[in-house]
Parts: sequence; structure tokens; C-alpha cells
Amino acid sequence: MVTQEELIKEARENGMELYPIEKDTYELFFGPQHMATENFSIILKMDGNRVVKAIANPGFLHRGFEKLAEFRPWYTNIALLLRICVPESDVPEAIYSMAVDEIIGWEVPERAQWIRTVVLEMARVSAYLFWIMGLSFKLGVYTAGQWAAAYRERLMRLFEELTGARVYHIYTIPGGVRRDIPGDKWLRQLKDTVEYIRSKLPDFDNLVFENYITYKRMEGIGVMDKKFALAEGVTGPNLRATGVAYDVRKDDPYLFYPELDFEVPTLKEGDALARALVRRYELEQDLYILEQLLEMGPPSGSYKVEDPRLKNLPRFKVPAGDAFAHVESTKGDFGAYIVSDGGNKPYRVHVRGPSIAHGIRVLEQLLVGARIADVPIILMSLDNCPPDIDR
Amino acid sequence: MTWEVGEEIVKKILEKAPYAEGRVRRERRLEFKIPAERIRDFLMLMKENNFPLMLQISAVDWVKDGEIELVYHLMNVELRTHAMVKVRIPRDLDKAKMPTVRDIYPAAETYERDVHDFFGVYFEGNEKMEMPWILDDPERGLYPHRKDFDMLGYVKKKYKILDRFDENKDKYVI
Repeated sequence: MVTQEELIKEARENGMELYPIEKDTYELFFGPQHMATENFSIILKMDGNRVVKAIANPGFLHRGFEKLAEFRPWYTNIALLLRICVPESDVPEAIYSMAVDEIIGWEVPERAQWIRTVVLEMARVSAYLFWIMGLSFKLGVYTAGQWAAAYRERLMRLFEELTGARVYHIYTIPGGVRRDIPGDKWLRQLKDTVEYIRSKLPDFDNLVFENYITYKRMEGIGVMDKKFALAEGVTGPNLRATGVAYDVRKDDPYLFYPELDFEVPTLKEGDALARALVRRYELEQDLYILEQLLEMGPPSGSYKVEDPRLKNLPRFKVPAGDAFAHVESTKGDFGAYIVSDGGNKPYRVHVRGPSIAHGIRVLEQLLVGARIADVPIILMSLDNCPPDIDR
Repeated sequence: MTWEVGEEIVKKILEKAPYAEGRVRRERRLEFKIPAERIRDFLMLMKENNFPLMLQISAVDWVKDGEIELVYHLMNVELRTHAMVKVRIPRDLDKAKMPTVRDIYPAAETYERDVHDFFGVYFEGNEKMEMPWILDDPERGLYPHRKDFDMLGYVKKKYKILDRFDENKDKYVI
């Protein structure tokens, strides 16, 4: 049998230029077009099939949203900023609107708050289903992925009826929401959908979360502990998988969350499997929250503030000041710091994507020592959303 | 609106840091203003006072004052409190320098690289400052988030084939 060294020697003798390779390590550009990396690029230094060093390489998606937002009137920015994180586009809308509400000092009507809470929870459920789809594709359980996509489609249809759009809703606006809920029929449909998705959760458990292969593939890889996660600024399910019960919905309550009864699931292991299971429990809690909200019913009243300033949106002005608003997204703590100098455009919009914390430094450290086949699994268990980083 | 827990936290921190100004903005929101050279002392103090989580470092370019404002967002997980630590530094490129805080909050490394790439603030002691970040090589050294960045000039230079930028017009809607 011809060894590799002999082949290299032969190739060199035949005049081929080969790069000198120190020992057995080589560099591998992983992504951004590779579908397992979700538009994110990592430069891996490999020894055989083990990762020796990883360098996160952001910038592929940079679209300059924050700069563009400084050139647009306050209201048109919503249609721009919601594109930051596609699977749950309602979150950037909500943080922007909440920050603007705080600067102006608007008290958003109860009905609008209720609708915003419902929309945010629907977005969370649909984002988790989207994540299950990604995870099961990476694990090779394509059936579960197709189920998740199909169930998400039901939510998309409800979103379309509510907002007029499937993915980019442009629905939550400063001062309330853009239009009222379509009627009782829509609420009944939402209730049916919630019940339907809940009834399908055991199927996901059987196929993905209690599967022997999942445990073999995910247990004990990408482990981080509590102290490390807090120091690195990790939030969301990734932090809760290490045992810290930090959830913005409980810890900095907004909208209707103080009145709702739900648990913040935590696990101690901090590995990829724990992160996946925390997300699975959270999906159940989100469905439970939606059930409670639907049982409560929408409060009566207006769906947005009545203010003469809303009559002429292009000339709409926000008084000078700054505010920070954040909500809990499926990726973690999603925040926006907004500064106004009193004009009809924002002076500065800074979005804090949760992925910027766990997508750069944490990822670089967790990948060291992993096998090449584990790289997509670790990436998926962290639920990295590259547009958060490349705002 | 008064919020007693917040008042107590502010009082406790201001006792140890007399150089700082602090106030309660609203429930669960604190704000501190400190001189730039004391940032490391102050953040160390904040970490000792149970603010383990750094959410982000925002920068705002106040071009009229000739200053860049850096806002360090910290979160207290136990007392459910968010604190903003505001620092102002001159915006001239050779004076816009800050000491790094990545040994206090490791997460700050990424945010510092972000601020450096887009605002040109140099964080002394952060080794990764020189490494490529989001912008491409030709864009480095331009600092696009500064308010005096000539966006139209840049677009014209980069996309020469676009002839829709009329020289005689003095206003463009971008």
C-alpha cells in the first residue's frame, strides 16, 4: 500500500507545489456558505479530525443596520431593524418600540401590551420549532425537522392573518401595535394551534430528545460551567443550562409577564445536551404562557396610544434622551440602547444581539478539542444567530 | 418614582467611589457617570458589588461636544438591576484611548473590538484589537459609525459604476 508520505514525495518530484504542513495540522475554512454553519464562518485548525484552534470570522453578513437607522425617520426604522434576527423578527421590533416608549414616556395601553406579549410568545414558539428543525437536520433525524417546519407553518399563517406578513411583521410599533387582532376566530385558531403543537411534543421527545443517538452525539461536548458563562456574558438558554436562572421575563419584567405563572427551567451540566433539553422545556413553558394569555383574553381598550404626534409620522419627533430596553429571546438577552437628540431620526441605535456573547469567544473556546462532526452540533446547541453579530 | 433597593445600591457604591455620580433612572435602572481614567477601579467595584454580567459596550459619537460617550451596560442577576456606566472621552483619534477591562469582564473583549472597528476608540491592553473584525481591509481606519463619516463619498468611491449620484444635487435621500 502506498503511504501518504510517498504520495506527497512523488507529487513534489513531479513539480507540484505543496504547502509545507507542520506536523499533521491543517487549516479548514468552515462556512459561511456551508449550511451546517448557518451563514457563519469559522477558521479551524485541525489535527486529523480534532479541532486544535478555532477563530470565529464574522463579517460575512454585515449590513450596517445601525448606521442606516441614523438616516431614517423613527417609524421606518422598524421595517429595517426587524431584519436583524430572522427566525424571531418580533424581538427587535419590540425592543426598539419599548425603548422609544420609555424615552417619550408613553404608557402603552393594556390591550397593546397583551397583544405584544402574545406576539412575542408566538415568535418564541416558532423560533424554537425552527431551531428543532436545524438540530434534527444536523443529527440526521430529518423527519422531526420536517414536522417542526410544518407546525411552524401554522404559526406563520396566524401571523399572516394578524399582521399581513409571514416572516417580517412590522407589527409592534412605538405606542402600541399597528392594528387590532382580527377577531375571536383568530383567537380560537391560535388556541387550537397551541393545543395541536403541545399534543405533538411527545413525538419530538420520542424521535429527538429521548433518542439514543442524540445522547451519544450531544452528551459531554461543548461543556461550560456557571462561572465561565457569567464571565463571558452568555445569556438565555445557554446560561440556564449551566444552572443560573436568569431570564429577562422574570428578572426585568416587561409587558404582561409579571402577571403570568411560568417556570424558568435550568439544568446543571452545561453541555450541548443540557442546552437542547432546556430549550425543549422552554418550548413547553411558552405554550403554557400562550394558554394562560388566551384564557385571560385581550383587555378592552385601545390598541395604541392616542397622541396627536402619531398623525404625521414622517415628522414624528422623540424628545432628547436615551433608554435601554431588553427582552428574552430564544437566543438570550436581546437589548437595544437608543439615543435621541430631539430630532425626527434616532441619533444612535445600538442593538445588543445575544449571539455576540456566545458566538465569538465562547464558541472559539468550546470548539477546541471537538471532532469535526461535533462542530455543527456545538454551533446548533449554542443557537448562534450570525445577523446578531454582523448588525 | 423612588425605588428603595436602587437608592441603597447607589449609596453603597458611591460611598466607595466618591468620584462618581449616580442616580436611579426608574425601577431596575441605575446610571453612573464617572471620569474616564477611573473606569477600571469602578468596574472592579461594580463586579464586587454583584454585577457579574456585562451586556454590552455602546458608543455614542457626540460630534458637537467633540466627545465619544462609552456606555457599559452591567446586569445584577440577583437584585434584578441594570446599571449603565457612562464615560466620556475626546473623539480625536490620537486621544480616543481607554484601558481595556477584559481582565475584569472577559466578555468585554468582543465589545471592545466592535467599538474599535466602528468608532476608532483604542483599548490599550486588548491584544485582539489588531485582528480583523467585521469590516474588510479597505474599510479599516475609516470608522463608519462616527458622525462625520462621509457616507456618500464612500459609496461613490466604492461603487463607481453607479451614476445615479448627481453632482449638482446637494441633498440625497439614502
